[in-house]
Amino acid sequence: MDLRGRLTARIEPREHAGTDIDCRKAFETMHPNDNIEALMARYQQGDFGAATDLIERIGPRLHRFFLAQSQSRTDADDLLQDTWLRIHKVRHTYRPGEPALPWFYAIARHVRVDHYRKSMRTAIGELQLEAMTRDVGAVQDESDSADNLNALLAPLSESQREVIEMLKVSGMSLEEVARATSSTVGSVKQKAHRAYKKLRETLSASGFKKGQSGVCLEK
Amino acid sequence: MKNEEIDNLLKTAVQAPHGPNPETLQRIADAIKPSLSPVRPLPPTWAMVAGLVLVCASVSLAGAARAGFFGFAKMDLAERLLIFPALALLAWVAASEFIHAMIPGSLRRISPGAILGFGSAALLAIFAFLFRDYQTDHFFSVGIVCLFTGLLHAIPAALLGWLLIRRGFAVDPVTAGLLAGVFGGLAGVGVLELHCPNFQAAHVLVWHTAVVPLSGAAGALVGWALRFRASSSA
Repeated sequence: MDLRGRLTARIEPREHAGTDIDCRKAFETMHPNDNIEALMARYQQGDFGAATDLIERIGPRLHRFFLAQSQSRTDADDLLQDTWLRIHKVRHTYRPGEPALPWFYAIARHVRVDHYRKSMRTAIGELQLEAMTRDVGAVQDESDSADNLNALLAPLSESQREVIEMLKVSGMSLEEVARATSSTVGSVKQKAHRAYKKLRETLSASGFKKGQSGVCLEK
Repeated sequence: MKNEEIDNLLKTAVQAPHGPNPETLQRIADAIKPSLSPVRPLPPTWAMVAGLVLVCASVSLAGAARAGFFGFAKMDLAERLLIFPALALLAWVAASEFIHAMIPGSLRRISPGAILGFGSAALLAIFAFLFRDYQTDHFFSVGIVCLFTGLLHAIPAALLGWLLIRRGFAVDPVTAGLLAGVFGGLAGVGVLELHCPNFQAAHVLVWHTAVVPLSGAAGALVGWALRFRASSSA
């Protein structure tokens, strides 16, 4: 089976496997000694198999991270490619023994912020903006899960949304989130606490109902 | 509404996620394959911190050797024992955080702003405790020279520090610049403490301590400019 086939075969079950934490646990049960840190160390030694394994395992997580930050799927694909090129360029900055997941997310976050700044500097005409809005709308129609998550996290600030996404969607620990966001554990705790408070207030005030495919906020 | 209910909502909201396009993953794998060669990971943090502290001490000593150790000669033992170990400790903390800023995914124990604030406050407290001469002779004319000397030595210290850890990758150039500036500023204060024989409290508190925040601000500005250039060049 070629690489594309292997990638497809590995990704397809993930689409129906529930949260990423479940995928992570399932994979680690099947391959207890083949964790991300070990793969990263092999990647640094020039092992292409380890590199493709990492792309398969980390790629979907980073893609979801970009998608959860109100990006279109096309943007998320582009950002994922940019992130991997950056990861490849600075792979020597990962130090064996350190947690690898925050390292990946820290670079992804940098690329996302960089992309945001670049896009802000680019003069976008009114027509292009309209086209983008239509495009995003179309993409959101095809991605219910991203839509639900965005709707749920909409009342939060950018940094709060990022922390909640990493903690609750990606299943990272407080320390891992602190590492990924270049902040302290205390700061992450504070952001998560404030985010939950805001979510609780918003959900209680507006009421909510659980739909078949996700969450709908009642206006 | 309970936290568990919010957790359940989040869990429901992210079910059945759409993964990336398999072609995208294939393209990434194809793109990195030609340049996939073994790389040497960065050395351990303690080794890099030790290197940076050595740079800081070297710049301070070299600067004072050129200008003269008049300040050190005039100090009594208590002053020497309080000022230089405190500077070394602050340089160690600043160097450690500077390195963390240059390695993605590093755990931060203190925020960069807190380091700048705490470093400046610690120096102010030590100087206020040690120097009790409250005269202000030639406050501006002499002070500006000291400030200029301190900043002049902060530049090579920050540049050498950056050169030492240039293989790192700053996910936030402004923070990295700020920490490099604080680190360099501490080397500048080191030069002033070794060289400057003016022990008037106001002079030391204002002009010597000011080197750290000014140098930090200059570093942050350089970081911001680099980030601006990087985002404009696309």
